[in-house]
Amino acid sequence: MSLRLKGAWQSVGGFRLQLDLELPSVGVTAVIGASGAGKSTLLRIIAGLERPAGFTLSFNGQRWDTLPAHRRPISMTLQQPALFPHLTVAGNLRAVPGAERIDEAAVRFGLQDLLRRKPPSLSGGQRQRAALARAYLRPALLWLLDEPLSALDPLARAELAPMLGRLCRSLNRPVIYVTHALAEVLQIADHLVVMEAGRVIGAGAPETVAAELDHPLSPLIDTGGILEAVFEAYDFESRLSTLRIGRQRLWVSGDLRDAPSPVRVQVLARDLSLALERPARTSILNILEVSLTGLAPAGDGALFAELDCAGQRLRARITRPSQANLGLKPGMALFALVKSTALGLRSA
Amino acid sequence: MDDGVATALVLTAALAAVTSLALLFIAPPLAWWLAHSRRAGVSFVEALVALPLVLPPTVLGFYLLLAMAGDGWLGGAWRALTGQPLAFTFSGLVIASVIYSLPFVSQPLTASFRNTPAELLDAAAVMGLAPTARFLRLMLPLHWRALLAAAVLGFAHTVGEFGIVLMIGGSIPGETRVLSILLFDQVESLDYERAHLTAGILLAVSLAALTCTYGVLRRR
Repeated sequence: MSLRLKGAWQSVGGFRLQLDLELPSVGVTAVIGASGAGKSTLLRIIAGLERPAGFTLSFNGQRWDTLPAHRRPISMTLQQPALFPHLTVAGNLRAVPGAERIDEAAVRFGLQDLLRRKPPSLSGGQRQRAALARAYLRPALLWLLDEPLSALDPLARAELAPMLGRLCRSLNRPVIYVTHALAEVLQIADHLVVMEAGRVIGAGAPETVAAELDHPLSPLIDTGGILEAVFEAYDFESRLSTLRIGRQRLWVSGDLRDAPSPVRVQVLARDLSLALERPARTSILNILEVSLTGLAPAGDGALFAELDCAGQRLRARITRPSQANLGLKPGMALFALVKSTALGLRSA
Repeated sequence: MDDGVATALVLTAALAAVTSLALLFIAPPLAWWLAHSRRAGVSFVEALVALPLVLPPTVLGFYLLLAMAGDGWLGGAWRALTGQPLAFTFSGLVIASVIYSLPFVSQPLTASFRNTPAELLDAAAVMGLAPTARFLRLMLPLHWRALLAAAVLGFAHTVGEFGIVLMIGGSIPGETRVLSILLFDQVESLDYERAHLTAGILLAVSLAALTCTYGVLRRR
């Protein structure tokens, strides 16, 4: 049970896409990469909007590359809401062949009061909700989301992100979610694919991919790591969530009460500092007991300290003088320090 | 208004209406194909469609006259099919008008179709609509302004044609003598009084049609 995509394609502009990919056909697969990495093209090939020769595509054993877009059992939202401006919201929803339960979809996406409005009179967030509802109404085996939040302003994004997360988890259909912001999909991704310059440079479980990627200075994941933690409490006054990793405690800014369990916390390598002893008086709340498993050059003169934190992998960026000062050697027990504000739910 | 003018007015309106209606079926699919096909040969077809814009109407009229003559390929086929001649008849005028007014209808449509935002075309495809359904159910309504403007332009242009009608239609009252031909006859016989009326009608119809077209296109 999987989606298989294989082939190579060279665009007129010289961009080369080379893929040999097998994605699970359950759960949420997040495809992340910088703009120009080819992730949208990947999605368009799966949808059939691009049909370059030499690509084979199959879903659960069924050949798709021979089918035109409208014959593939997919549902897709594009980077733009792409609503038809001459139709009302209801008209846009009804235009989907085989659309049923339009009223239910309207309620689900909060469109009840907007059904008679035309798209030009809607806000960015409302338009994107209508586009999601339209995609939702298409009977499909696979959902494709192409940067669903990127065209929105921060406010609309904050409003739509939780709805999108709930949707992805409740669909019971596989979802491929393309984004340039890991934070957007961190809590919902079951599977992570990282693309760069037309190639896949990492694929697998999010925690593993983030820790294993040997990509210095990648702005996407900064080769830090993702910690899985259990939510414990939220403090309204300080606006901090308390999480637990084994017997250690982690403070993270923001309200994580609604986050699925376990909560994933992205830790950037540049945000982690190391200490030989537990600092006694410091403003930094998070002091994690870790052990040093190795040192690797970061490619720009700095070093990555590979860390083990209660069985989970982390990376810290340190300078060579720091390494010399501390006398860092694999096997040492250390304290990893990170500010709680560096761990908050980053807006994408 | 005397009978000659009234007859010519009705005939002109009928010719323009039938021509516009026929073009509303022919031009949109053609314009869509011209706007979006990447095949070799599109430019040639586009040039062919646009020919009436640059050719003297008499050139087109000359070739059409040859084709519509009793022993011409079109006239012969028409006679075999209907038992009627084609040259110097209303039917012949309709066919000639469709060809002559085609670029006036297809060009604004092609321009409008080319401006369809790419994401709307993509959205229509991933909604699961087949190409024909996308065109008929989403694209035609989306471009309704251009359709209306193109139809009015086609109507007005058919009202205004002269040279081609003269070549293949002549001046048979009630059959081929449209307003522009009538005006020519009136001027030739120095009947300036009646000519004023005919010319005034043509001027008013054309001006009204163009005002309507630009008005529709302006409102967004």
